Parts: sequence; C-alpha cells; structure tokens
Amino acid sequence: MSGESKRQAARQRIAAERAAEAAARAAAERRRRAVIGGVVAAVVLVVALVVVVVLQTRRTSTSADAAAPANTTDNGYVFAVGSADAPVTLDLYEDFQCPNCKALEDSTGSTIDDLVAAGTVQVHYHGMAFLDTDENDDYSTRALNAAAVVAATAGTDAYETFHDLLFANQPDEGGSGLPDDQLIDYAAQAGASGTTVEDGIRQLTYGDWVSASTDAASKDGVTGTPTLFVDGEELDDLSPDGLTAAVSAAQG
Amino acid sequence: MTTIRPWLATAARLLLGGVLVVAGALKMPDPAAAVRAVRAYRLLPESLVGPVAFGLPVLEIAVGLALLAGVFVRTAALTTAVLMVVFVLAVGSAWARGLQIDCGCFGGGGQVAAGRTAYPGEVARDVGLLLVALALARWPASRLALGGHSEEEFADVR
Repeated sequence: MSGESKRQAARQRIAAERAAEAAARAAAERRRRAVIGGVVAAVVLVVALVVVVVLQTRRTSTSADAAAPANTTDNGYVFAVGSADAPVTLDLYEDFQCPNCKALEDSTGSTIDDLVAAGTVQVHYHGMAFLDTDENDDYSTRALNAAAVVAATAGTDAYETFHDLLFANQPDEGGSGLPDDQLIDYAAQAGASGTTVEDGIRQLTYGDWVSASTDAASKDGVTGTPTLFVDGEELDDLSPDGLTAAVSAAQG
Repeated sequence: MTTIRPWLATAARLLLGGVLVVAGALKMPDPAAAVRAVRAYRLLPESLVGPVAFGLPVLEIAVGLALLAGVFVRTAALTTAVLMVVFVLAVGSAWARGLQIDCGCFGGGGQVAAGRTAYPGEVARDVGLLLVALALARWPASRLALGGHSEEEFADVR
C-alpha cells in the first residue's frame, strides 16, 4: 500500500470518528434539553395545579358561619313545617327553578300538606340552588334567598305558603326567572312584608347561606332535586300513592 | 403507510387534545358544580373532593395543550390513557352501584332523573379515546408538532 493511500484511509477513519462524536454530542444535547424541558414543564404544571386548587377553593369556600335565617333548625338549613311530635319526618330537597320539583309539588304536594295537617309527618324543607344562569339572573339563588327572608320574618308556615306560590308560578327553565318585585309581591301574600323583607330580597341578605345550604345538601348525599327521604330512606316513587305507602310503612 | 402514519398521529393528537382542553375548560367556571359532580360519585372522602374537582381540569388542560402543540407527546398520550382508565372505572362503578348521575365529563354532572343516565355511551366514548391514546403512545411521531423528534422515533416511519 502506498503512503498516499494510507494517509487517505487514516483521514477517512478520523473523519468517521469525528462524525460519530458529533452525533453523540448532538444526541446528548437533545437528551439534556428534553430533561430540562420535562422538569420545567412538570414544575409549571405543579405550580398551576396548586394555584388553581387554592383559588377555586377560596371561590367555593362557603363560610360555615354564613348567617342563617331565623326559624331554621338542623344547623340552620332546615325549615320544619308541621308538628314536632309527628311520628314520621320527610326531608325534601328542592330547587325553586327545578321543573321536576314543580312536577312533584303538582302531583304530591297536596298529599304532603294533608299528612302535615293530620299530624302524621313533619316536613323538613332543604333548599338547593344550582340552576342559576345569566338568563334567569341567578333565579335559583334569588328565590331561595327570598324564601329564607320570608321564613326569618314570618315563620315556617309563611315559608311553606311562599314555597307553594313559587312552585305554582315557576318560571320556565331557560327563561328569565321571576323579577325581585314579583318575589316581594309573593312574600307579602305569604305574610312577610316591609322594608326589611324588600331589602333582604333585593340585596340577597342570605346569599352566602344559600351557597352553604346547597353545599350542605350535597354533603348529605343529595346530588339532584327533587330528593325526598322518608325517615332517612330515599323514596324512589314520588307519586301520592308511593309517598302514602312509604309513610305508612315508616309508622310501622 | 410510511407517509400516512405521522398524519394519523397528528389527527389523534388533535382529537385527544381538543377533547381534553374542552372538557377541562368547561369545568373551571363553576367550581361549586365541579365539587358536587365529584362528590356525586361517592368514591372519595370529603377532604379529597375539592382538590380532585379543582385539580383534574388543570391536568386535562395541560395534557390537552401538550398534545395540541405536539410536545411531550408520548408522556401526554400515556397520561391521557391513565385518565381514561380512571374515568371508565369511576363511571363503571357508579353504573354498577345503581347511582343515577351524569358523569360530569364536560362540566355539570350530578344526579339525573331515572332512565336519563348515559353510562353505556360515556364508557364507550372513554374506551374509544383510551385506544386512540394508547396507539398515539406507541407511534407518537407526527406532523405539525412543535417538539422535535428523536431519530429513533422517526426511524420506523422513514
């Protein structure tokens, strides 16, 4: 082999080694960048998680001491109607904007009233407000707040009258909700009037309590409305016959 | 196949990324509803309900954005697959226990009227997305991706 061709082979060998080294360096550089990128992304994600969880927790934290309306029982979330000595307790969870609740009131409301009048049951009304929209100007919240104002001012019998009026005149879901003036008018019909009532309805005096009440219902295991418990047992058949049968069974 | 597979991966990225970003974003505006939706599954202790309800949308959006942008595709696809398995198990358990809830997958959630549940459709959708995510994790090399690709990833498509 001539000296020339040896040198050429050596040059080729050196060039190949350098190319391999360059490729290895480039690969290492890519791996380094991928690791740095991954670490940065992970840190950003963790920070975002913490920030959002803290912010949303603050947004939803319903002050547990949200001023409860007067004439409530059970930590301030229950409007009890009927004799405390009644042998059976009904726990009824409703949203004033919920069409199925109106259907329940239309079909079975009078049966409940009869059972209350007979002294057979005491009804515990629990309010929920989760059907607020921009269109209805947060009607669920406004209606439950107004009902709380009525109960605080005029007692739970007035609450029930107001409750029945609101369901009988329930606005369409997706509609604009009842205006505050109409709520004030119904409150007067139920026996609650005066500037305290008007201010309470317009200024959402119990707005925080409404959120807390909705949260409390959720913690009771209630995930929708209407939900009716007969002495703690959830009732599936909400027809008058279904309720009557369940109440009879609960009486033993 | 050599030219079409990266485009299929791109389609998978856009599908999964789009679904995740939308699903996450819809859960952000009403955190109280998100809490009720998570609580409705009756799987978690109360102390974990809030963090899951608020953290899950962040994770969904982050993974979705990574998929849309085409960075950390394999990691994001695997995370998506894990999320889908969790969702299928959660919805399946609600179904098996006879709960009547909406999955809350795209916001909302909570109880629905008897006979208005949609468990088969919800499970089928999540299983479909799971399969897409697994395929993307196997062949993550795609077009229109911001993140670079190592030689090995493209090796099998060249």
